[in-house]
Amino acid sequence: MNSHWDRRAFLKKSSAAAVAALAAGAPMAGFLAGCNQGKIKSTADTVILLWMAGGMAHTDTFDPKKYTPFSKGMKANDVLSTFKSIPTALDDIYFSEGLSAIGKVLNKGTVIRSYVAGDMGHILHSRHQYHWHTCYKPPQSVLAPHIGSWIASQLGPVNKVIPSFIDIGQRFSLGEGEELKAFHTAGFLGNEYGPFIIPDPSAGLESVKPPIGMNMSRFEKRNQLYNELMSKSPMGEMGSDYQKESMRRSMEQAYMLLKSPEAAAFDLSKEPKESYDIYNTGKFGLGCLMAKRLTEKGARFISVTTEYEPFKNWDTHDNGNTRLADMKKQIDAPIAQLIKDLDQSGHLDRTLIILASEFSRDMMVEGRPDLKVQEQVNQPDIIQELKNYGMHRHFTDGCSMLMFGGGIKKGNVYGKTADERPCKTIEKPIRIEQIHQTIYHALGIPEDTHYLVEKRPFYTTPDGLGRAAMDLFS
Amino acid sequence: MKEAKTTSKPGKKLVIVIGSMVLFCVLQISFNALAQSTAPSSNSNAFWVWRWMGRWHPMVIHFPVALILLATLLEFFTLKKFTSPLRPAIKLLLTIGTITAFVSALLGWILSKEGGYEKEVVSIHQWVGIATACLAGMTWMLLNSILKKNQTQFMIAYRFLLLLSGLGILVAGHYGASISHGKDYFSSTLPWSKDYDASTKGNFDVTAFKNDTAKLTKQQAIELNIQVRSILAHNCYKCHGPEKIKGDLRLDRRDMIFKGGEDGPVIVPGDPIASDLFRRISLPSSDKDAMPSKGKKLSEAAIAIIKFWIQKGAPWPDSSEKSIFRIAALAPRNPVLPPVTNELSNPIDRWVNQYFLKNKIVWPKVVEDKTFFKRVSLDIVGLLPSPEELEKFIKDTRPNKRALWIRKLLDQQDDYATHWLSFWNDALRNDYTGTGYITGGRHNITDWLYTSLKSNKPYDRFAKELLSPNDSSKGFIEGIKWRGVVNASQRTEMQAAQNVSQIFLGLNLKCTSCHNSFISDWKLTDAYAFANIFADSSLEINRCDKPTGKYTGTRMLWTTLGTIDSSATRAVKQSQLATLMVQASNGRFYRTIVNRLWAQMMGRGLIEPVDVMDNEPWDQDLLDWMAFQFQQNKSDMKELLYLITTSATYQLPSVGYKDASKIFAQQYQFTGMLRKRMTAEQFADAAATIIGPLFSDSMLMYHPAPSQILNKPNFARAALVSNNPFLIALGRPTRETVTTSRESQSNLLQALELTNGERFNSMIKKGAQTWKLKYVNSDRIIKEIYVRALGREAQLAEYQIAKKILGEQPSPSSIEDLFWAILLLPEFQIIY
Repeated sequence: MNSHWDRRAFLKKSSAAAVAALAAGAPMAGFLAGCNQGKIKSTADTVILLWMAGGMAHTDTFDPKKYTPFSKGMKANDVLSTFKSIPTALDDIYFSEGLSAIGKVLNKGTVIRSYVAGDMGHILHSRHQYHWHTCYKPPQSVLAPHIGSWIASQLGPVNKVIPSFIDIGQRFSLGEGEELKAFHTAGFLGNEYGPFIIPDPSAGLESVKPPIGMNMSRFEKRNQLYNELMSKSPMGEMGSDYQKESMRRSMEQAYMLLKSPEAAAFDLSKEPKESYDIYNTGKFGLGCLMAKRLTEKGARFISVTTEYEPFKNWDTHDNGNTRLADMKKQIDAPIAQLIKDLDQSGHLDRTLIILASEFSRDMMVEGRPDLKVQEQVNQPDIIQELKNYGMHRHFTDGCSMLMFGGGIKKGNVYGKTADERPCKTIEKPIRIEQIHQTIYHALGIPEDTHYLVEKRPFYTTPDGLGRAAMDLFS
Repeated sequence: MKEAKTTSKPGKKLVIVIGSMVLFCVLQISFNALAQSTAPSSNSNAFWVWRWMGRWHPMVIHFPVALILLATLLEFFTLKKFTSPLRPAIKLLLTIGTITAFVSALLGWILSKEGGYEKEVVSIHQWVGIATACLAGMTWMLLNSILKKNQTQFMIAYRFLLLLSGLGILVAGHYGASISHGKDYFSSTLPWSKDYDASTKGNFDVTAFKNDTAKLTKQQAIELNIQVRSILAHNCYKCHGPEKIKGDLRLDRRDMIFKGGEDGPVIVPGDPIASDLFRRISLPSSDKDAMPSKGKKLSEAAIAIIKFWIQKGAPWPDSSEKSIFRIAALAPRNPVLPPVTNELSNPIDRWVNQYFLKNKIVWPKVVEDKTFFKRVSLDIVGLLPSPEELEKFIKDTRPNKRALWIRKLLDQQDDYATHWLSFWNDALRNDYTGTGYITGGRHNITDWLYTSLKSNKPYDRFAKELLSPNDSSKGFIEGIKWRGVVNASQRTEMQAAQNVSQIFLGLNLKCTSCHNSFISDWKLTDAYAFANIFADSSLEINRCDKPTGKYTGTRMLWTTLGTIDSSATRAVKQSQLATLMVQASNGRFYRTIVNRLWAQMMGRGLIEPVDVMDNEPWDQDLLDWMAFQFQQNKSDMKELLYLITTSATYQLPSVGYKDASKIFAQQYQFTGMLRKRMTAEQFADAAATIIGPLFSDSMLMYHPAPSQILNKPNFARAALVSNNPFLIALGRPTRETVTTSRESQSNLLQALELTNGERFNSMIKKGAQTWKLKYVNSDRIIKEIYVRALGREAQLAEYQIAKKILGEQPSPSSIEDLFWAILLLPEFQIIY
């Protein structure tokens, strides 16, 4: 075991500090940061984030309360859940109707019912999503890295031909696209750790194979041509420089990736039909399938999203009940299958799967009960139409999450929300910095990991104060 | 085990056990010494048998613990009658207990060599353990004497030693448990303990430094001190800082921290254990003495840094009289130009000549026409010269042709403005798309910027219009406002203070927006006083996002530059700032822009990073002289570029570095322009010049007013389209924050974008079809692509390789592949 305080490491880092103190904007690993590396025994190699973009109501999904069926003239304030409760694999633990498949595998993971989202005033989804994914509230004076980029920068790829941070399912041409781009970035860590973006999983293969219309033998010949011309270029005589070296190295990496047999992991058509059909509930389901295939070939961080588009998918400003029934159809079978498949192939033990959303929803409360924010949804007190029946306001004080695999307790319920409105967290509140540190802990990344950016320390969680929730681990 | 069989001759056995222990000690010590001489920190490569044996210690240890304690207990029942029926049992317990105690001690010794434990505790545990084994041995010998030789006079001594052995077992056991379960194993389960995170207990090897006499260098001491102050600021200043002084203790100043608090000094330099500060931050948070008393326990690394700092004598460079930080002079300076020598008449060359003489550097020959023309064209207008222009330039025989062509490039107003738009967009974080626009929280200044660059607006006026803006230029200081509540240090007034000081003064106020800086002498109040200029009314000072209830006036960062009327309206304050900022006596303002433009042209500033103008330039005279002349010469940016590009200094062969960190090292020496990689925009525009447009006209986000200038590129230039995955991959920043340097290294995502990205590949595919029709045969195509892309003809070897791919009748796909290979060559992408 290394002693974490050896003098050489100190001198090395501090002389690097002297150098980087001059380097233009280049981040450097923090002073003595990483001395703790290897100290934490990792319980996961891979992370899959299943992102329920747009605000998933906890009382209509993984934390159901008393069900009140729709009837004309009903009082809005009486409605806590718009679906029936159904049993799960755990005694006395219920999910909302439509999530039976996930409920049946709950014995393999933990449901967290006490996530408390950040307070950022007047709600903007992308701003809360930024906070969830980077642990920092925008704007920031330096570009905050996505959690996937932090992980990629600290651990690198599992399989070197599979990019270490893959983002599946989000297009950036939609509303709030610019805000989404602001956190789908490696920030100051540098483009190298940025997301490899696959907006549409069914076209995922195109990202990792030779350009359209080019067969493999031509692709190889083209690469050979490049190498030969490079070696004959008279500029070779001018000696090597770091730019040229990095170009040569990255071109080689790209070539290796595009011609590697592992690229088949991106090819969903290679999946047996029976399995494909279970996953094929739409773009999200196929994203789960790709996540499974990539995990089995060695991926580091994969995010699969239901896709954020203002007022679409989980962003239910109206028709909450009918639209959630549809959302559940999209996610239930593929997520359960993903867990079962990874369990069966033996990967679940070392793969941490997290399902989360930026915040929850409630029919009445906007923001937090004790810190209400500007209302953005018109909710009549007496419901006459089905379109007003659902959780339409943005609720930050009690949200549900799921965690499976990667050392997380099996068959566990963490935290609790009140059974009466406001259905807010009443036991074991857990916040984003704890969630991030829990993920880092599972991966063996020390909690004080940081870089000096413009001489200021920038930690994985603000000021390095976040701590892992150790009681989530088995 | 062999020893176990020899119990019939206990005397001999003892000798064997003690003997083998001594042997192991010797072995371990020599092994250790050997290991340390090769790898000071690691013992993990120890022979596996040792490691395997060591792991038995925690199991074997239970024998002596149970047996000796039981023997001690039973002894109490024999107080009345020594020859109690229990005696044989006690003897047996003591015998086996003693043997296993020695075995355990031995195994423990081996285990401790494996490392990974807190050495101080291990050391106590180890010596108490060994002493206990010895005590037990002596007790056993006494008992034997009493029983065999009836030497009853030893009875009291025997019982005393037995009791002592029992106590020894307890003490050793306690420390042993602390090692394996942590000191807070019990206390952390208590309901009032907040220390739920028991898994990350401390076990770093602090004793590694005990005999380490190596002194920290001055630089290391400063870095270490900054780290310590950063930790103290974020965790302790709240109660022990300028706002609150609990327990009479302030930790934010050198004199105060060493003076200590109401209970005396808190730091004993060189002795962390005796330092109350270290003791209290190390306590579990359940302890009433633990610090911070409110808030979370410090991270282990933070505690370790503080411990190390105290061990090293708690260095805190004296800043009360003289700053520990380098502070650059504010005033302008006009050093006397060195005389003309070696036919070098350009003033820059005269300074550099002096620098070269001093550093014993011989002037290399300036680069030949082709390299020069590609370089200067890309640097001034961002475009690759056409083969026709290049030929005209080469054939030009006028002796001052380089200066004449430079002038011509500078006069290409639209090309110049389009190229420099990217640099200023980065710096002023201006973009067509981005966060903030969605809720009206951001304003675009492209039209103002483009027309300012096109008309070569003097830099002082340029800055004034940004600082005291009208509607078309207000975007820079208005900043980016997201919907909702933001951190106090990121409110738009504070963004303005940070960005204005960074861009115009090369000063970083980001730390100082939250708390007093520990990387400079700037204080929180300075940042707020400066931010108040951009506020309608004075801002309440927030320390680390917590309101303090305090306010400060409105001030320029350097009061020597003049005053600002605190009670004036925002517009008046900004206009006062604009005037103070650009006055001639603000030398820093002019040095900052001169250094930035120099860095753009030469690949590295005279000062690096370009945003830290307090750092030392590699030639102070050159920087001061240029800044002074620039200000005197109507702050004319084009004239400065003319001066730089017409110098022999600019025209020296480019310098490549294998190790990028050397470029920014303190001992950097200037020997010529650094090799630069084309920016995303330069690359896209160059590819478009040679083959065809990457962006359709419909992607244009800004349409400059029609111009009289001829030779206007017939494609949408990359600077004028909105950011997209292609440009992002090649390094165009998102402009969410101010950016003053671009990534110069390539990466996988970029290579993938170029290798199979649709935009680039469909562009060359289209181009190949056009070329096939236009140039028809292979030889012509090879000639054209080499001349257009690389400014030269293919050499024979290159020709043969290319010909092999194209054949006699080239197919569009083979032309496409040749395009791809040429455009990706470092020779094409690097500006030599």
